[in-house]
Amino acid sequence: MKKPFSLNNRKKGHAAIFLVLTFFFFTIFGCKTQSNQQNLSGDRVFEFGGAKTSLKIVSGSENRILEPILETFSKEKKINLAIDYQGSLDIMRLLEQETVPYDAVWPASSLWISVGDTRHRVKHLSSTSITPVVFGIRESLAKELNFIDRDVKVRDILDAIEAGKLKFTMTSATQSNSGASAYIGFLYALMDNPDVITAEALDDPQLKEDIRKLLNGIERSSGSSDWLKDLFLQGDYDAMVNYEALIISANQILEKEGRETLHVIYPIDGLTIADSPLGFISSNNQPDRNESEQEKAFLELQNYLLSDKVQASIQQTGRRTGYGTLANADKKIFRKEWGIDTDRILSTINMPKSDVLLKALNAYQNEFKKPGYNIYCLDFSGSMASGGSKQLLEALTQVMEEKNAAVNFLQASQDEVNEFIIFSESIRSTYKATGPVELEALLPKIQAERATGGTAIYLTVAEALDKLNTIDRMVYSPSIILMTDGENNGQLEFRDFEKKYQASGSDIPVFPILFGSANEDEMDQLASLTRSRVFDGRKDLVNAFKTVRGYN
Amino acid sequence: MNKSANSRRPAFLGLLILILVIAGAFLFSTFQQNNQPPKTVKGFVGGEKINFLENEEVKKILREKYRLKIDINKAGSLDMIRASHENVDFLFPSNQTALELYLNTIGPTYKDDIIFNTPIVLYSHKLVADALVQSGLAESVDGVYQVKMQALVDKMAADATWADVNLPQLFGPLTVDTTDPAKSNSGNMFSGLVANMLNGGQVVTEKNTAAILPDLLHIFSKLGYMETSSSDLFNQFLKTGVGAKPLVAGYENQLLEFSKLNPEAWQKVKDDIVILYPQPTVWSTHILIALDAAGEELMIALKDDRIQQIAWDQHGFRTGVYTAKAAAETFDVPGVSADITQIIQMPNQKAMEQIISAFQ
Repeated sequence: MKKPFSLNNRKKGHAAIFLVLTFFFFTIFGCKTQSNQQNLSGDRVFEFGGAKTSLKIVSGSENRILEPILETFSKEKKINLAIDYQGSLDIMRLLEQETVPYDAVWPASSLWISVGDTRHRVKHLSSTSITPVVFGIRESLAKELNFIDRDVKVRDILDAIEAGKLKFTMTSATQSNSGASAYIGFLYALMDNPDVITAEALDDPQLKEDIRKLLNGIERSSGSSDWLKDLFLQGDYDAMVNYEALIISANQILEKEGRETLHVIYPIDGLTIADSPLGFISSNNQPDRNESEQEKAFLELQNYLLSDKVQASIQQTGRRTGYGTLANADKKIFRKEWGIDTDRILSTINMPKSDVLLKALNAYQNEFKKPGYNIYCLDFSGSMASGGSKQLLEALTQVMEEKNAAVNFLQASQDEVNEFIIFSESIRSTYKATGPVELEALLPKIQAERATGGTAIYLTVAEALDKLNTIDRMVYSPSIILMTDGENNGQLEFRDFEKKYQASGSDIPVFPILFGSANEDEMDQLASLTRSRVFDGRKDLVNAFKTVRGYN
Repeated sequence: MNKSANSRRPAFLGLLILILVIAGAFLFSTFQQNNQPPKTVKGFVGGEKINFLENEEVKKILREKYRLKIDINKAGSLDMIRASHENVDFLFPSNQTALELYLNTIGPTYKDDIIFNTPIVLYSHKLVADALVQSGLAESVDGVYQVKMQALVDKMAADATWADVNLPQLFGPLTVDTTDPAKSNSGNMFSGLVANMLNGGQVVTEKNTAAILPDLLHIFSKLGYMETSSSDLFNQFLKTGVGAKPLVAGYENQLLEFSKLNPEAWQKVKDDIVILYPQPTVWSTHILIALDAAGEELMIALKDDRIQQIAWDQHGFRTGVYTAKAAAETFDVPGVSADITQIIQMPNQKAMEQIISAFQ
């Protein structure tokens, strides 16, 4: 009896010593470990360097495909990497800020660095690969439109759209480089290919009419090029404007699934190139940053990516590497029968001056793109009361107040319709606004709503779907945004909604924003059913609302 | 014998001690001198000289032979003249206009001297260079491509397209891509050169700027968005291929330096990349303006024979050491001109001021 007891005592003694030591350890090292971990959050983190240097990178989503390469780098060189994915235009805005919480920047095109880096802090800028922005059109449709084996002009594509023979998907011009590049290419063509686009030319009424017609041909849009590819693969669409590299990667999957592949069209009078530049951000105003240490790690990463071996692996993802020519391209990747032409000279259009460019982007958002018809389903159940509704209102202020929204090119156009359904165990109230002024005026009304009661998710979403099924899709681009913080406890369940959605045959996305203790699995199912994606608002609700806004 | 030998010994010993003391003192003073920390000289420098000033051997010579350490901040040539010069020992701009601006707005310099020069050249690809030759805008003289600047500018002013110069593969207007003339020196100098051509090949002064400005702005407006850094533009030229940047303006030293700093990459593009020398061209003159005695020490040090040799051999800046024969032997770059003879002065500072404000 004694022995175990004394052993127990000894154990207690050890435990006490252990506790004291642990306490000391955490007092001395705890803060540092914690702050290191905090530094290393990101959409993707590679942590193989232990306590050694960590690089924080903000990158375009098209670089997701390079993650295996970055992982190997992190393992080999013992340098941690934390990557956040943002649209090229967000990256431009970020660089304008005094404080930038990243060590390196990796947008789709150097244009956005040039426009955003007004403080001249980006160093060691070097292109890691290039890829043109192209049209990928279903093989049989491309043949039918007589687009194969001949020079295709943007005007030819416009004609097909106007004749109702071609619909396409494209990213938002105000959120993503591929969309912006294609849009500028369209403007050139509609203006009959002037030497360069001027500010005055954007005010021409004929141009306004033409570009609206053209953008009406967009079936679905997205805030990111990589996700557009995913959307395309989930659906049954005719065409997509995207990077040649992403069309190649989509085709590889389509072929594997036995589906029709896309034929690549290089519009000869509207072509742009994404040059995927990687640069170091000096003087980013981050406290405790050892800049020379970070710069050394950055150069290691850059040299690694530019080494012959890694350039060859990057080429395997369908990007063009090397110096402007694609000598000895792998014919199994760059396939001739997909229309990929590696001998073609990629002759590009000139991007307009930055003031004209920004005017063109604002015009896209305010006047040219097909107006959205968005229904926000907002959960005001009891669980939202403890701080949740405050965060929600903060987020809504960012997207509903025109001056806030315009900073990120997210302002509503005059014709855009936004409805808000406030729900708990039933639908409590609905609000409707047309245009930016009415939208802003709704804020105090939503502010006055109180959080109470249960959570009838599918009842509300079904109501929104019914409403959107009646609108004219040639006039509006519809979407439902569902923000919820908990489990559905209404009578209508996910399975019921699934049946209803499938029966209606509509292609209306429901974008769930996760909050609080929302049911992640069910929201994933909802997104996949409606070919949309889930936005995580649990860490940053404001950002989730801003991002989802870029998708419609 | 013995006695005299004995009596001589202390004298000999004394002499030895004296010699040792003198030698010791000398060694000590040298040692002390060498151990003194090098003097830090602060200044503003154009970005194109950063590689040269960060060259390990240059830093070593400055440190060991001249006891100098430099602390540099990157700045545009004209911006650095207008910036506050508090605690600054030197300015190292890339053109004569900057010196003129200094003289006109601040007054006489403490000291100034030209450290080296590099001409403004055009960079292109074989395909384009050969088409320019065929269409009579350029010629190849002993393997060196020369562009007839007057003819090229006339064509651009008359809205020629690439197709008009035998390049139907390229879309759009015939242009020379440059950095923004209002923000970067190489673009600024190229705009001065184009201005002179629009003035019938005569140097523009403030009296005739108004006459050439409309054409000058027209030619540059076709470029749309312009880069603000010469090195970024050069990097894009190398990476994006002939279709995106068919013809760009830059410094001669950029390619020469690239061939030395990136020999492997250079081997891959060597057969395609071409330097074209505008006839006439303008010199980018790298003048060190010393603001005080410390700045002057650096000015003298940078004229050191070995440093001047490195500036040419490794960074492609033309210094006093290059000879006609040397160019071909020093660089594995085909078509480097032995001499730069056809030079035109930049428009004067007041004219350039007017040109820059028109671009802003």
